[in-house]
Amino acid sequence: MRDDPSVIALVKRVCDGDHEAWNEIVERYSPLVWSICARYQLSRTDIDDVGQGVWLMLVENIGNLRQPAALPGWLATTTRNECLRILRTASRYDPDGLPTDDLLPPDSGEREVEDDLIEAELNAALRAAFAELGEACHTLLSMLIQDPSPSYAEVSSALGMPVGSIGPTRARCLLQLRRSPHLAVFLPEQAGGIEVKETGR
Amino acid sequence: MSAVSAGLTDDELLEALRRAVTARDAVPADFIAAAKQAFAWHNIDAELAQLTYDSRAADHALATRTEAASIRALTFTSDRLTIELEVAQDSLVGQVVPAQAAVITVLPRTGGEAVITADEIGCFSVEPIPAGQFRLRCRTSAGVETMTGWITL
Repeated sequence: MRDDPSVIALVKRVCDGDHEAWNEIVERYSPLVWSICARYQLSRTDIDDVGQGVWLMLVENIGNLRQPAALPGWLATTTRNECLRILRTASRYDPDGLPTDDLLPPDSGEREVEDDLIEAELNAALRAAFAELGEACHTLLSMLIQDPSPSYAEVSSALGMPVGSIGPTRARCLLQLRRSPHLAVFLPEQAGGIEVKETGR
Repeated sequence: MSAVSAGLTDDELLEALRRAVTARDAVPADFIAAAKQAFAWHNIDAELAQLTYDSRAADHALATRTEAASIRALTFTSDRLTIELEVAQDSLVGQVVPAQAAVITVLPRTGGEAVITADEIGCFSVEPIPAGQFRLRCRTSAGVETMTGWITL
């Protein structure tokens, strides 16, 4: 994957003291931190501890990140290390004094965290692209991704849109989503993968 | 990964969007709010004092099961200053070395701060003992500013 220029820009703004840019980084990547903590089955208190530790480490070290584009990877690794630290601390002071490693849940390991990272980056890009859609598309897609997904008849009456135009509008909105620059880094180097799909229809 | 989004049909893209939005909705608002507050620690302009001694870690290194009454002691060291801490019964007592008057600020991770004065031989006392994680900032009368790493007692 190529580097996401928006991450680089955000990191630079944070280094310059921009609180808004910091908030945006937090919004984007909190789900990543959260999902890794959930993977280690930590309690809510421990998750809060990990979260605070991770974000403090980031705010103190953001100026030293050698590759700002690698921020999501840094967050994933740091979160994993903090989770393991908390699990070790919890078992180390176990009153029975059992060997610590036996008390640790199995480490789900770098591989799974790497999967979490890949999914989190795609998710963050999708949400960023989604947030920038026009209001009509945003409303329609918001409704369509509800669980359970509503029927076209329900969508039609909720949005005052003829049933027949829901399908084409949905397709147009999804195309806009695909074309978002946020998703560009997830597309193959050779352009046109999506265009082919589109014209082949 | 590139295959992931490029090769997605409309249905799959919509499903991916659903997952992305669900993943964000799963994160509690206060978890995000706490993370945003961490920005307050950006660009702290003080020399960092590293933890150079921790009685608890020393106990473990010796693999001894010490008595419950053993005293927790910590030492933080920067280039120009050492801060020694000891947990007493209901306070945290400390000393700045070399001995000198200083202003000590207790900075809990959860926000807020308390200011304490160290006397002319550098002695100070924090009461009550901070419950959560915190760090100490020490400003000597000569204007040297030092900050400890995070402390959990």
